[in-house]
Amino acid sequence: MNRIVVLGAGIAGHTAAAFARKWLGRDGSVTVVSPKDYYNWIPSNIWVGVGLMRPEQVTIPLRPVYARHGIEFVHGSARTIYPEGDGASPTPYVTVEPAGGLAGASIRVPYDFLINATGPRLRFDKTPGLGPDANSQSVCTEGHAVQAAHALAESVERMRRGERQRFIVGIGHGTCTCEGAAFEYIVNLEFELRARGVRDRAEIVWLTNEYELGDFGMGGMHFRYGGYVTPSSTFNASLFAERGIDWITRAHTRQVDPGVIHYETLTGEVRERPFDFAMLLPPFSGVGIKAFDRDGGDITTRLFQPNDFMKVDADYEPKPFEAWRAADWPRTYQSPAYPNVFAAGIAFAPPHAISRPYTSPSGAAIAPAPPRTGMPSAMIGKAVARSIVDMIRGSQGPTRTASMAEMGAACVASAGANPFTGTAASMTVFPIVPDFDRYPEYGRDLGRTFGEIGLAGHWIKILLHHLFLYKARLRPGWSLIPE
Amino acid sequence: MAPLMHPYVSRPTRWTVFLRTFLPWQLWRFVRINIKMLGIIRRSH
Repeated sequence: MNRIVVLGAGIAGHTAAAFARKWLGRDGSVTVVSPKDYYNWIPSNIWVGVGLMRPEQVTIPLRPVYARHGIEFVHGSARTIYPEGDGASPTPYVTVEPAGGLAGASIRVPYDFLINATGPRLRFDKTPGLGPDANSQSVCTEGHAVQAAHALAESVERMRRGERQRFIVGIGHGTCTCEGAAFEYIVNLEFELRARGVRDRAEIVWLTNEYELGDFGMGGMHFRYGGYVTPSSTFNASLFAERGIDWITRAHTRQVDPGVIHYETLTGEVRERPFDFAMLLPPFSGVGIKAFDRDGGDITTRLFQPNDFMKVDADYEPKPFEAWRAADWPRTYQSPAYPNVFAAGIAFAPPHAISRPYTSPSGAAIAPAPPRTGMPSAMIGKAVARSIVDMIRGSQGPTRTASMAEMGAACVASAGANPFTGTAASMTVFPIVPDFDRYPEYGRDLGRTFGEIGLAGHWIKILLHHLFLYKARLRPGWSLIPE
Repeated sequence: MAPLMHPYVSRPTRWTVFLRTFLPWQLWRFVRINIKMLGIIRRSH
């Protein structure tokens, strides 16, 4: 009996568990460990955050889905990994703190293969005053998005009474990632303020750690357009200028006080900006799982990087930014320390930044971290599941690869939700991580990298919302829907 | 007209903005973008 244990039920974990169960047949068990007993289609949290959707429209309960498909579910948070077992038994296991249980309670979940798909820990604590429990909003979870929607509704009411409101949207720290999500939020916010007839009383500002607009943690993109090869910064700036959104780039948020953001820039200037509503995303780290050998010795640093993301088959040798190559990026996501341990989605440690890192005179790092959500996370989860099932059936090692330097991504960023007047930016990039050996000029295949704003993009975004929630419910034909 | 907040930034023409929500054009773009995305998805799997 082979036991596959998946830590996390987000896009990567849920995809990995579903495919592992489908391919494994009767050869073993699949267990999902997650602190949440529901699945959240995070890309649509943007619409919850502007009050257009309810949380139940972006979440599905997992227990009935897993019960229907024979996937075991443990409701709790993974705390430790014992990849060699312990003195009592050589069987590897993880310890899980049950959700809602007594503090210190622990469940032991044995495994033959482990997939760490725990996603990020939201590090609001990295910036004093940041986060929905303090002085700013977030859309990282559906709960945060509901709170943001309530705060936005209050601002709209004030504007209807004649007050002016100042909105700031962007990053809450110099090392944040997910600028794409914040970008979607700010343009949806602007669209909604217009739709509610109060746009003329709103000042909207984008605050970002990007060196140039449109970087998105991917070093930006280039598109062939109108006889030129044009950087994404041009399109991003154009959209903001068209919508009357001002911007602050190359910034690190130092502190968020009630109604005032304190930030510094790459040039060392320390400034503050008053606001009435701020939606600022936090930086990420791994969730902080510890690892121990059979004698109880702490081997966390063998499995994890200092930022708590899991080491996989990437080249983590420190080197200058100019020296990194696309080949440094992982392909199989297998732990170099334990061949039966894998990581998928945000949980794996990227080997280096894609966007050039910069540091302010005070030493603050100001550069987006690499994004690895959505389509690549699902594809990594699927590849890892296939490799494990093949290894169970006798393969000597992983059989599938899913390098972000070898795969492309299709992305649709909502810019306003309405079936007739809404728009979205539809983008494709190939590959996600630029490969300057294959594509020396721009790092990407310009024939497969494009972007366009229009109503068609919004229709595609709606289609994807329903399609991926259908797939997450594992309804008939789910596996035919591409990641 | 009010002065531009960022005068050195490209801005779309009225025609470009019109096409963004012009239904016949957007129906065609819906088909075309889906084909492009399916190509990326097929190549990436």
